[in-house]
Amino acid sequence: MIRINEGIEISKIIEQNDLRIVKVYNKKWVTNKVSHPRAQKPGLAIAGYFKYLNRGRIQIFGKTEMGYLNQLDSKKREIQLKKFFAIKLPAVVVAENQEIDELIISIARKYKTPILISNLSSSLLTSRLCSLLFRYFSKKIKINGVLMDILGLGILIKGDSGIGKSETALELINKGYNLVADDLIEFYLNSNDEPIGRPIDKIKEWIEVRGLGIINIIDIFGAGALLEEKRLDMVVNLERWSTKKKYDRLGEGNLYFHVLGKDIPMFDIPVAPGRDLSTLIEVAVKYFISIKRGKKSFIEHLYGKEKK
Amino acid sequence: MIEEKVEIINKLGLHARAAAKLSHLANTFDSDIFIVFNEDKVNAKSLLGILTLAASIGNYISIIADGKDETRAVKEIKKLFDKKFDEES
Repeated sequence: MIRINEGIEISKIIEQNDLRIVKVYNKKWVTNKVSHPRAQKPGLAIAGYFKYLNRGRIQIFGKTEMGYLNQLDSKKREIQLKKFFAIKLPAVVVAENQEIDELIISIARKYKTPILISNLSSSLLTSRLCSLLFRYFSKKIKINGVLMDILGLGILIKGDSGIGKSETALELINKGYNLVADDLIEFYLNSNDEPIGRPIDKIKEWIEVRGLGIINIIDIFGAGALLEEKRLDMVVNLERWSTKKKYDRLGEGNLYFHVLGKDIPMFDIPVAPGRDLSTLIEVAVKYFISIKRGKKSFIEHLYGKEKK
Repeated sequence: MIEEKVEIINKLGLHARAAAKLSHLANTFDSDIFIVFNEDKVNAKSLLGILTLAASIGNYISIIADGKDETRAVKEIKKLFDKKFDEES
């Protein structure tokens, strides 16, 4: 069987601090690639049921797998291990810093499989590995706008160039909210199928304010003003005020923004002199939270929930 | 919508000052204008966006414009690339 060429290298996985990899055996093969977005606990596969074992998936040995292997008699143990590693898996990660013996290492070496030892429990290891792999394998899309954390929700501020997105973001940061990314945001779907936004590395921390140039958020507002990534909950679309366009006057709120196949609630907010955008957005977020908690909108207040 | 391919011929490529000139020019048009390089498509009116492309001398980029003044926009932007952003004589 040939190994898979597309995917994320094991060496990249070892580099992740939050996976707490403490030891690596068979280092020569860390160039193997994982080509499946979910980690797998082999479970019964170790006992010989290989049907659902996937060649591109990284395997996790928890207490169950190690416990089963350790209670087999030595002959059977060797046969099972050989059958298992002959599938040529990209790597095996052993959870909870469990000890592994020379036999496992040498059989793995024969089939070019690196073994990583992690300090984490297998459930935590599985969830962190999956979220890392999902970020890598997910469809990605770049969107123009500003992504902020306001009252714990991820808010994307969109609008034409020059309408004042960055300036509004600056006001919101000044009020104590956190910036995720200005100008270009990369979205991916996490393991819960939610769109998550991240900054582009090259322009992370920087924000363009016309008249001032490009300024560094951390230098000016401190490290607390910036977040690494955030789930997208709501979109605010800033538009030049037009007398022709009908704005939502009754708060019926049925606009959606499409990203990676998901529909995210959106508000169109017209921009005109004298409208304090940062306060408007803050209130829009609070309103959104209250509706989500089941509070009545004005229409529902007048006519009841059903007649809407 | 129109699209045109342009070669970058100035020494420093799409560096900060050139990108500033480009986004400044793009902002004078009503059309939506994008610059495409490799897999990336960015808004030409956004300076930071252009800078993420890191396009350098010898690279080809595409200018895409969509709107009332799209023809003029593409022509003027191409001209800016062709005259090396007024940096070299």
